[in-house]
Amino acid sequence: MTLFLLTSVALGAGIATILIGDVRRDLALVIGFVASVVVFAIALAMPPEESVVVGQVGLVGTPLVRAMTVAWSASLAVVSLLELEVGGRPTVTGPSLIGLAVGALALSTPDPAIAVTTLAAGAVAGVLVPGLYGWLDGPGSTTRLPTTSRGVLAILGSGLVAIVAIAWGASAAGPLGGTGLLQDGTDARLATGLALVTIVVAVALRTGMIPFHVWAARFMEGVSPLAIPAAFTWGTAAFVLAALDWSQVALGPTAAGEVERLLIIGLGLVSVVLGGLAAMLHDDIEHVLGYSILADAGVAVLAFASLEPAAAAAARDWLVASATVKTALAGWAAVVRAIYGGHRLAELGGWARRSPVLGLAFTGILVAAIGLPGMALFDARSTLITGATGGIGGLLTLAVAAMPAIYLGRIALSGIAPITAAVGTGPSGWPTWTGGRAAGWSGGPLVQAIRAVPTELRANRAPLMAVGVVALAAMALATAMGGAGG
Amino acid sequence: MNLALVAIVLAIVAGAVVAVSTRESAGAAIGLAVSLVAAALFFDPLPSAAVLGVRIVAALLAAALVRWAGRHGTRQLSALGWPGEALLATAAAVAGLGVAVGLASIGIGGGGPGGSGDEGAPAILQPASITAMALLVGAGCGLLVLGAAPLVHGRQSVRRAIGLVLVTQAVLLIRVGLAGAASDLEEVARAALLVTSAASGAALARAAAAAAAARRGDRDGDGDADADGDPISTTTARRPSTSA
Repeated sequence: MTLFLLTSVALGAGIATILIGDVRRDLALVIGFVASVVVFAIALAMPPEESVVVGQVGLVGTPLVRAMTVAWSASLAVVSLLELEVGGRPTVTGPSLIGLAVGALALSTPDPAIAVTTLAAGAVAGVLVPGLYGWLDGPGSTTRLPTTSRGVLAILGSGLVAIVAIAWGASAAGPLGGTGLLQDGTDARLATGLALVTIVVAVALRTGMIPFHVWAARFMEGVSPLAIPAAFTWGTAAFVLAALDWSQVALGPTAAGEVERLLIIGLGLVSVVLGGLAAMLHDDIEHVLGYSILADAGVAVLAFASLEPAAAAAARDWLVASATVKTALAGWAAVVRAIYGGHRLAELGGWARRSPVLGLAFTGILVAAIGLPGMALFDARSTLITGATGGIGGLLTLAVAAMPAIYLGRIALSGIAPITAAVGTGPSGWPTWTGGRAAGWSGGPLVQAIRAVPTELRANRAPLMAVGVVALAAMALATAMGGAGG
Repeated sequence: MNLALVAIVLAIVAGAVVAVSTRESAGAAIGLAVSLVAAALFFDPLPSAAVLGVRIVAALLAAALVRWAGRHGTRQLSALGWPGEALLATAAAVAGLGVAVGLASIGIGGGGPGGSGDEGAPAILQPASITAMALLVGAGCGLLVLGAAPLVHGRQSVRRAIGLVLVTQAVLLIRVGLAGAASDLEEVARAALLVTSAASGAALARAAAAAAAARRGDRDGDGDADADGDPISTTTARRPSTSA
């Protein structure tokens, strides 16, 4: 029952936040924040295993559902506070709550058709709302509307492709129907291989992997960094998990023949290598964030190359942990941009010296993103890569782990570089006490202190936002250590 | 073969042909509504009243959203005209029907396209028969062809929104045709997907109309063209204000 309650609260609050966001921004964000906290509390109270029958289908709460909803709602609560402080149109909390609702529903249903259908329907808001608001805010850009349109098509298209693949698999006349249509072993193997490749193409479309990445790269240029995780990490993680579950159950580990394995590994590694290189070469922090998410998706898709239970378990850990890490990185990027106004490394020299709390948070994000042997994230990455590539897997794992060290290391180095003009003129990251109170007001010390709170909050906007990023970084470290069970 | 189901399939395809080929946005919305409601009424077996209600409400809501987007948008043009669109849809529907019937004649024991629903029965080559599920696959293929062209080639407009809705409906029909009836929860999810695709297509079409009108206004140098306050009018549209 908690699952049903969680979904209802998140869905209702998400829709309400979007509907009133344009006219009552702060109210919408407060609703979103409160709903996130409520959903977090419900997720914490969720029993590790429960089931409820809705519409002839049993929704089953599992430890994975619980872990994912806890991590997702906790980070969303912090992100909604950051969105309140960062300013701009409310494009993050509402779509994220809808994504959370459909993600929980999709992961708890045993029917893959329902899972991909709900995920396709619920994920569109994560692209459409920030995309349209980005277009409204950027009147000079002629690419934002077409990019949003392509994003919507990619999200819906991936869902539709997955629906057809799942229906074909469930059909009695399909390769898995047992009607004898494909009696010959080779034909049956080709058909299941084709089904696997089709579902992987759906995943690639959904995640914006290379070669389907152009819309994703352009989308990230025109939206708040906080909107990027809602569009590309959490919902994508749920979609990949639903697709992986179906592939394991319906197709089985033998579905991936040599050709399919090569195709999947090639697709994954191209995104890992080119996405990682792009993140290393770009100076723009939104692009670093976006391409690093793309590279993470490339690692996740390697699970389809083996479909073994170990690979699926590693994919669960990897997806939950990397989503939390990238949410923290997005929070950092949004706060840096809000405080210092810049988004290129050249403009952000000395950001960590100016705001040590942000520097501390970034250190946590850096450690979580790279991982250490024994941490769930590191082990999951290692299992996925070695499971897919065999002998050279160990070397590849080290190379892939080195990528975040380089692209995040560059950002860290700029943080301890000499302070640039943009950073120097921005607000200090150190807490300050103005001692101020409302003009013309007098009263006792307690009331005086209460009256001073808004003033002090405004004066300490930068360090308070940095504390929010620290919270996100702590969550990132927790999930990087514990994975889907953390 | 149930003649009522054949009539429903004809209504599905005919409504979609009207939706993609008429120049009038109101006519397109009516055609879309006819197509979507007909698809909602396709029964085999007859769904519960609640499911039927969900389907019809979703169909009407999707059509209303497209109508909302088309009210002030640019007029639609079909490069082929209605006879060409109708021929294309018929060809696709016949092809889909043929494939479904062919598959059913091989795997007649199962619940696949045209199958009897008796899963696990041995494969026996049987005389072809047109069943409800095969009709659904045929209708889905017809909608897919009709919706694909405006979706892929059309610029951002109501026509593309209609294409998006038709392709979504096509896939949903093919899904039922291939894998059998959906559960109640899946019916709700399918309805949500249909409405979402219509809403996103409509929102993008409205935005594109506003952007196009703003560009025209910029060229004309008429800064007060939106004095009536309507942001998405064909003749007076402006980009909505950017107050944060």
